[in-house]
Amino acid sequence: MISLIGFLSLVFAIGINFYLLLSRYIFKFKKQRFNFFIRLSSLLTLLSFFSLMYAYVTSDFSNYNVFQNSHSDKPLIYKISGTWGNHEGSMLLWLCILSIFSFFFSFTKNIEDNFQKLTLIIQAFLHILFGLFIVLTSNPFLVNSILVNEGLGLNPILQDPGLAIHPPVLYAGYVGYSIVFSIAIAGLFQNADDEWLYVAKKWSLISWTFLTGGIALGSYWAYYELGWGGWWFWDPVENISLMPWIAGLALVHSLIMVRGEQAIKKWIVFLSILCFSLSVFGTFLVRSGILTSVHSFAADSSRGVFILLIFFIITGFGFLVFLLKEPKKSNSLNLLFINKVSALVINNILMIIATLTILLGTIYPIIIEVLYNKRISVGGPYFNSTVIPIMIPGFLLMSIAPILSWQTSKIKSSKKYALSFIILSIVVLLQSYFLNFNTWGFVGLLLGLWIILASIIAILTSYKIKFTIKFFQIINPHIAHIGVGIAIIGITCSSVFQNELDFNLSEGDEFNVNGKKVLFEKIETTNETNFQALRGKFLFNIESNKINEIKAGKNYYPVSKIITSEAGILHQWNRDIYFILGDQKNNEWFVRVLINPFVSFIWLGVILMVYSGLIAVTRR
Amino acid sequence: MNRIFLLTPLIVLLIVCIFSLIYLLTGKDPNKPPSALLNKSVPIFESSSLYNSNEIIKTKDLQNKKTLINFFASWCSPCKVEHPLFFEIRKNYPELYLLGFNHKDPTLDAKKYLKDDGNPYHFVGVDSDGLIALEFGVFGLPETYLINEEGTIIYKFMGPLTKDILKNEIAPLL
Amino acid sequence: MKLHHYFKIIFIKFFSLIFFTLNVYAIENIDEKVKSLTLELRCMTCQNQSIYDSDAEFSNDIKKIVKQKLQQGKSEREIKKFLVERYGEYILFRPLINLNNIFLWSFPFILLIFGLFFLLIKTKKKSV
Repeated sequence: MISLIGFLSLVFAIGINFYLLLSRYIFKFKKQRFNFFIRLSSLLTLLSFFSLMYAYVTSDFSNYNVFQNSHSDKPLIYKISGTWGNHEGSMLLWLCILSIFSFFFSFTKNIEDNFQKLTLIIQAFLHILFGLFIVLTSNPFLVNSILVNEGLGLNPILQDPGLAIHPPVLYAGYVGYSIVFSIAIAGLFQNADDEWLYVAKKWSLISWTFLTGGIALGSYWAYYELGWGGWWFWDPVENISLMPWIAGLALVHSLIMVRGEQAIKKWIVFLSILCFSLSVFGTFLVRSGILTSVHSFAADSSRGVFILLIFFIITGFGFLVFLLKEPKKSNSLNLLFINKVSALVINNILMIIATLTILLGTIYPIIIEVLYNKRISVGGPYFNSTVIPIMIPGFLLMSIAPILSWQTSKIKSSKKYALSFIILSIVVLLQSYFLNFNTWGFVGLLLGLWIILASIIAILTSYKIKFTIKFFQIINPHIAHIGVGIAIIGITCSSVFQNELDFNLSEGDEFNVNGKKVLFEKIETTNETNFQALRGKFLFNIESNKINEIKAGKNYYPVSKIITSEAGILHQWNRDIYFILGDQKNNEWFVRVLINPFVSFIWLGVILMVYSGLIAVTRR
Repeated sequence: MNRIFLLTPLIVLLIVCIFSLIYLLTGKDPNKPPSALLNKSVPIFESSSLYNSNEIIKTKDLQNKKTLINFFASWCSPCKVEHPLFFEIRKNYPELYLLGFNHKDPTLDAKKYLKDDGNPYHFVGVDSDGLIALEFGVFGLPETYLINEEGTIIYKFMGPLTKDILKNEIAPLL
Repeated sequence: MKLHHYFKIIFIKFFSLIFFTLNVYAIENIDEKVKSLTLELRCMTCQNQSIYDSDAEFSNDIKKIVKQKLQQGKSEREIKKFLVERYGEYILFRPLINLNNIFLWSFPFILLIFGLFFLLIKTKKKSV
């Protein structure tokens, strides 16, 4: 019953969008009428999504999708998040977020009516494409042909709070670019004045902020769930999220430039189309199962062809309009040897090179396999040795860019910066030298610290410090850059200076981790609602009076017969101590302890970036 | 000049889509990479029989006949699934030499497995430490190789064989 | 002694120190070498996981072989070649620099040159 409601409202929503699309040519609507229909279709899509969720929560196994991906003994939170823990449901979530964005966009004030209408019509077009994809190839409302009392269960790796928040936030980022895309296309069609750029800026900031949060959440999830001690693997699915992120970053920066320069408009339109195209391309790569990934998703090649078609239509449409209706050329760029505009242009170029490099690296194995019928891998080492060096000059520029002038190539108090840079280099050199010298470690630390230092100097010397909202809005770019600097330090330290210790231990053994005594107390097994847990209990720093207890082990899920590893992590502000319990051999357990210095800085940096993204949205 | 710049994204899009489409339509499986040894000579190996350690088989012994090499183990459940198919192959293609490699198995287990399920192979070689499998680039059981008279690997299949695969992919090569 | 003499000594000391620290880290023990090599190899039975990170049987076998070969004094290149002959280039996370991959490796640099070229043209126009 509930499935029927869900299906019908989904179909109705698509129907309304068809109607709206036709309305442009056949019958003209007034603004209010038009907006009513847009909102109605959004609410219907939402209703459809919530009926699926309801089916999951009530474990309605007459729905085939619920039967395939749920089990009645799961805790409630995983029943809810299980809604999008599978292909069909996650596509419905995608569509749902798309219509939520349309819904909110229909309320945007201070934008020309016709322009808003056209944007929403393009959104309706996107809604139809993805809606048809769901109905025709991945319908989550199919009826189960056999009567069953129990479902097949959800992949245990997904039975985690991470699933509850990571996909919705990430999708909000991906799909948010649909609005930016539609705005840009509408701007091309109407040859509108530059008002639309401010609207686009707001929405691209919102999407970028969501995307940042979504990627970081996914990264953190991988960090504690996969149990490899790393948080970024240059996995295809991660690359896919990174591409629109970097392109989106370039977009946000270009939109800032609009204040000073007009010529950048064409570039902005290009980036707007690119961002959403990359988001859709990512969906294609993930959903077609064309690439192997740690995020193993169920794959089906007929779906792959369909979504490839959608990707082709959207991207082709976007770039075709771009080709035919390119914005009029205005005055050329004011590029001096070093001013704000040239810094932004250089950074944009570097970011787009990084994006394209990641894109090529991700699809290169496909090309090679089609051409030569052999398979290659393009993995972390490739990206580390191409993307990172490309980004380094960008990071250097970033540290001073906000204080550069728009017009002249003079830098305020440049001596102060030069001096502090030299002092900082010497300090970092000495420091890295007394620990152990590593080129990447040195470069990363220096860059990170320099970005933070330069941003702080800029804040102190350029503005009067007041604790008002306006002040925080003004220094916001610097805050974002400080966030990047902190994240760079975290990334460098946790990857370059990671320390690894392997032990073979029996229960009751004591061992040393970084000079601290650790006791391997015992192994416990417990029965939880839907899995059996095996945990090694470790007591860290037993010689002090502040003993930390860490549990690391494995879970066994009888329904799906899968074992997941559950790392035990002791979070400290300056390092994570990461325990992995391996297999038992001759009464001894293999225990790997990773010391990841300054991992918390990565998350702190991301929090700052998200914060400044939010602040920037509030600023006009 | 400007037009070329604007056309580039469309050209890139077209290339990306064409390659992806071909990849999807030719039914390539991301979990089954093509073998590196395809169309290359059989690696050099030497293995003794499961039943008689004095009986040795070497690469040279495969000359002048078509050989089907199958890596199996008693602990591998997909191997059990494809096992009956080898009797059918032996019956339908009496010319074909069936060579089984018993992979990382205790001898007793292997013997029991071949006693219970029957032994379709002309020769069962022992590969107790997995070194022969390493030479063949085996990484998941079962794996099956077809070798022609010249000693070249002309076909490789990963995973349990099925009737369809036998009919559509192996039979035309025999 | 003249002042510049002190500078000379400090200078030489400084660089020799850097040199030696680098040198110390160049001579790694075998386990470190196994780690750095297996981190760049794919576990064929896993989903996009490196052999080093993986606990699968396949990975453990390869780790053993890599260690063995390193102890025999084989170079990293020889080991990679050995593995590629058997498992294909798929096993290498760092693509080989060969004719097929030349585009992959040169692409970022081509783009960089284009970018630089673009910048030069644009800034020049302004100054004219």
